[in-house]
Amino acid sequence: MTGAFLRIKLPPTFFSFYGNLSIAFEMETDRPETASSKTTGKLSSACYLLCAAGCLFPGLLALRDLLLGYSWHVSLPLSGVLTLSFRGGGLSAYFVVILSILGFCVSVYSVGYARHSSASWPSLLLYGIFVSSMYAVFYSANIPAFLVSWETMSLSSYFLVVSDTKNPESARAGLLYAVMTHIGTAFIMAAFMVMYFATGSLEFTAIKAGLSGAGGLRSVIFVLALTGFGTKAGIIPLHTWLPRAHPAAPSNVSALMSGVMIKSGIYGILLVSLDILGGQPTLWWGVAVLSAGAVSSVMGIMHALMERDIKRLLAYSSVENVGIILLGIGASMIFSFNNLPSLAGLALAAALYHVFNHAVFKGLLFMGAGSAVHATGTKNMEEMGGLIKRMPWTGLFFLVGSVAICALPPFNGFMSEWLTFQSLIMGIKTSVVLTKTFMLLAGAALALTGALAASSFVKAFGITFLGVPRSQKAEGAHESSASMLLGMGILSLLCLLLGIFPGYMLRLISNIPLPGLGSLPQFTPGAFAVTGVASSGVLPIVLLGALLAGAAFVFAFPRLAGGRRKTTKTDPWDCGSRIFKKIYKPRKEVRIEYIVKPFFTREIEYRSEITPLAEAYFYRPFVRALHNVAHFAKRLQSGNLQLYLGYILGTLVVLLVVWG
Amino acid sequence: MPKAWVVVYSITDFITIGMLLTVVAMNSLKRMESFLRAYTINSLLLALLMAVSAFYLDAAHLYIAAAVTLVSKGVVIPFLLKKVVRQLKITHEVEPNINTPLSLVISSILVVVVYSSLSRGIFIEGFTENPLKVSISIILISLFIMITRKKAVTQVIGLLLMENGLFLAGFSLTYGMSTIIELGVVFDVLMGVIILGVFLSQIKKTFIDLDLDKLTTLKG
Repeated sequence: MTGAFLRIKLPPTFFSFYGNLSIAFEMETDRPETASSKTTGKLSSACYLLCAAGCLFPGLLALRDLLLGYSWHVSLPLSGVLTLSFRGGGLSAYFVVILSILGFCVSVYSVGYARHSSASWPSLLLYGIFVSSMYAVFYSANIPAFLVSWETMSLSSYFLVVSDTKNPESARAGLLYAVMTHIGTAFIMAAFMVMYFATGSLEFTAIKAGLSGAGGLRSVIFVLALTGFGTKAGIIPLHTWLPRAHPAAPSNVSALMSGVMIKSGIYGILLVSLDILGGQPTLWWGVAVLSAGAVSSVMGIMHALMERDIKRLLAYSSVENVGIILLGIGASMIFSFNNLPSLAGLALAAALYHVFNHAVFKGLLFMGAGSAVHATGTKNMEEMGGLIKRMPWTGLFFLVGSVAICALPPFNGFMSEWLTFQSLIMGIKTSVVLTKTFMLLAGAALALTGALAASSFVKAFGITFLGVPRSQKAEGAHESSASMLLGMGILSLLCLLLGIFPGYMLRLISNIPLPGLGSLPQFTPGAFAVTGVASSGVLPIVLLGALLAGAAFVFAFPRLAGGRRKTTKTDPWDCGSRIFKKIYKPRKEVRIEYIVKPFFTREIEYRSEITPLAEAYFYRPFVRALHNVAHFAKRLQSGNLQLYLGYILGTLVVLLVVWG
Repeated sequence: MPKAWVVVYSITDFITIGMLLTVVAMNSLKRMESFLRAYTINSLLLALLMAVSAFYLDAAHLYIAAAVTLVSKGVVIPFLLKKVVRQLKITHEVEPNINTPLSLVISSILVVVVYSSLSRGIFIEGFTENPLKVSISIILISLFIMITRKKAVTQVIGLLLMENGLFLAGFSLTYGMSTIIELGVVFDVLMGVIILGVFLSQIKKTFIDLDLDKLTTLKG
């Protein structure tokens, strides 16, 4: 049985990688004399199509595993002591499905995207390695396999981030990313080491059995894993690499990074805290995750609101969405501590649903942003504008993504956030006072986040696509190629389908063997109601109808009623920077250089900046302290040989006197 | 043979104290040639000590070690160093970092520290007690000499003196290491001297001086 699975499962996983490898080398060999840019483009297209095909098979197989409840396990002994083992089914299969869908769409998108950009063969190869390594992370069933795939994923994404060699900013972003990701990996390794020394086993299943009795040790593992995986997921204040690395990477890569790679952090948190550590979580675990989620969601979206760089805005919004996912996970932990399994299952299902949804719409948005950046040649939204007339399809898809991420019905973002809300609100209804308080606060944070997300994406879509072009580049924009539109189109459709048929999705989630999910209340596909726990529900189809009717009304009413259709000019809104002064710490500056004061000006410079909170209060003091210590240590290093010898003599004499 | 042991004690004590005195005397020496001569005497005393022990312990391999020490440290290395000194035209050490009376006092303090702290040692008794204390004192004092002096050549000689001290320490703890190890150590020292000679001429060429204070300019 195992052998058969080895043949069936693994080849498709690494298929894309080998495909890329061979084509990449072919490209390199015939490049110097013959290869014109056209053949290179064809080869890179073939390469990405192969990647897309490679994503299909594991995705379909994982879907089957998930639906029928199959699971499989493969061991690859490398030497006497080192065995890499992989498994499928359950949680792994769920994340593999997400990766496959996004991987497929992004690969199709990349066919068109790479044709125009200066994609070199290493980046093609790295793309394949990156996708394959993410599969390997989700399939891993023991510590060595997990760490090897995790490092491969981190390193290949690092090289993809720095692949734009002309831009010095991307090298700096890459360095920050490399540092942060390795700090995270160090924590993960520490967590795994503790597991290994506690149980003497490298297999996750054996560790799970061995750790069931350990008390305080489980908390140590949990904290290490939360920190380590939280760095990858982008929990505030460990998120600093996200808003730098995502804009620096090519857009197809940032779609994958934001859509799936940061979810591998979520996967890790789920794997360690719910699967491996299993059993009943301690209360403060849930509180820790819930607070991390609340802080990340609110702070993330507040920073997103202030961004001018469209990809940085999306990166900050990823921080926010990871926060929402963590709200669900944290709430689920608190519920299972209080012996409320059905509520725990609901909250966890909401979190998992949001993982899926965020992957879909964030991938879509990054691809849309990539198209816009591609067409205009700038990442600054203020230099775009009016793109919807020049690239209508891209505009439409970006709008779908924006509406979904703002959690507006009938798209998918609404369903998962509504579920999260439901679980939090039902938590308020429970009798435990402590739970009530936390749920109330988390619910408030989520509500604030939702409102801010809406305004920030109104801004993102409005400034980028509506109005008139604000620069020559925006005026010369053109519609993206067919493959790019296809990639975005599939995801847009998925946004709608996942929003209209949430019941199927929850049926899928209820097959994951995690605590609470089995007892998930059954949802009927059409009507979406949380029966069994409480009586509240929505009918997505009705919502869609209501929305369409509303839109028709808004469109028709002014025309019928003959209302005002003139353009009015007023002061622009300053994006709330005055309300949240304490958090943004805005700095505004207007500098005017005169030729003849005050009539002829040479140059006017407007500058408005906000202070990134985590950097100003968490990282900078740390770095400054490190500098001070280093400065002090530098005084010891006079460069004088005699002084160094004196240190040695002093040490020797002291040692003699003390221990002689 | 109780009587023979008494003789061994007094003779080894005599020779090792002689070694200590040469090292202490180096604190007050300014001329390069006398500095080198003190090192030569020190090495010769070391060879003599090994020969005497070989005679009393009736150990053939110690004779070999003594002969090798005599040739390498007593003859070849001083010859090489003298050549370097002559080539580089250094006759005198400049004023040391710490003046002569004070450095003599500090050297004696070092000896006192070693003697007082090692008297509580667990493994020192009988034949090797005194040589071990002397060897540690030699190591510390030659390190101290390296600190006080500025010329690179004196640093090299200080290093070689430390090596003598280490050799003595090893010898007094083990009654002579196996021949192959001693040969290896001696070979190392020889190579070290040759390399340091090259270094010295390079330093001279770069800084027009062998004064080590100039090396601080290399600091980043």
